[in-house]
Amino acid sequence: MSGPKTSWAPRAGAWLAVAAGGLAGTELRYVLGLAFPEVSGSFPWTTLSINVAGSFVLAALTTVWMARPRTPFWLRAGLGPGLLGSFTTFSAVVFSLDQLVREGQHGVWTAYLGLSVGLGLAAAGLGWRTGKLVGRPSGSGQ
Amino acid sequence: MIAAVLVGFFGVAGALLRFGIDSWFAHHSSRQTVRAGGHGAGTSVRLHWPWATLLVNVAGCFIIGAAHGLSAGLGLGAEWQAGLATGLAGGLTTFSSWTTATVRLLSEERLGSAAVNVAANLVLGLAAAAAGIALVSTV
Repeated sequence: MSGPKTSWAPRAGAWLAVAAGGLAGTELRYVLGLAFPEVSGSFPWTTLSINVAGSFVLAALTTVWMARPRTPFWLRAGLGPGLLGSFTTFSAVVFSLDQLVREGQHGVWTAYLGLSVGLGLAAAGLGWRTGKLVGRPSGSGQ
Repeated sequence: MIAAVLVGFFGVAGALLRFGIDSWFAHHSSRQTVRAGGHGAGTSVRLHWPWATLLVNVAGCFIIGAAHGLSAGLGLGAEWQAGLATGLAGGLTTFSSWTTATVRLLSEERLGSAAVNVAANLVLGLAAAAAGIALVSTV
């Protein structure tokens, strides 16, 4: 980052880790969608649960890694942008909101929007604090 | 079965694209920090703002809208719709980075930036999804 000719592109190991994490995260979300299908016009609980859980874990890992900067970059890339980035989804939230608005399901889309933003941020905030507690060096060693 | 393969393939493509965009922005924002150094008395100017996440989220919302339009209007198969919507758009966009970046901005007491981050992703994402649906529907 500081060198004059450093490439912005990460090393191959990080790309591989993101690919592996991305595959696992996407398939996990896909399988959860098959197990708990979201019916058109009803509340998308599956996507909400995925996004809230993913927000908590990513925020926790973020503050743990801030406290432990020597964590290998490929590991952070594979778990963060790879696994959790792909497990959670923004486009499905927005698309459901669009469809619910078009169907006139005003109570449902308002609740979905409010819960996605509210619970998503609350989970990330809780994860952020949890990670700080976990990542804090505890007297002896890491 | 073929749907699961397509979802996986496009999901990896979306994740790699998002990681590439993220890395590019992370590298180029470090230059901006230097240039903007004169605006405050403090030495550490915090200019990071999750532009990369906004970009991939808006792009992914367009893709999921277009995938819906393609399957509704042009009879795109259900497995390809799953590949594009659940795989590509789902893998490209991210909810957890959006919420975590917002919490990070809040932790730095950048309330305005946090609010703009929440609103911009939602408003531009909804517009992009509607544009994707409308564009393909008119073809």
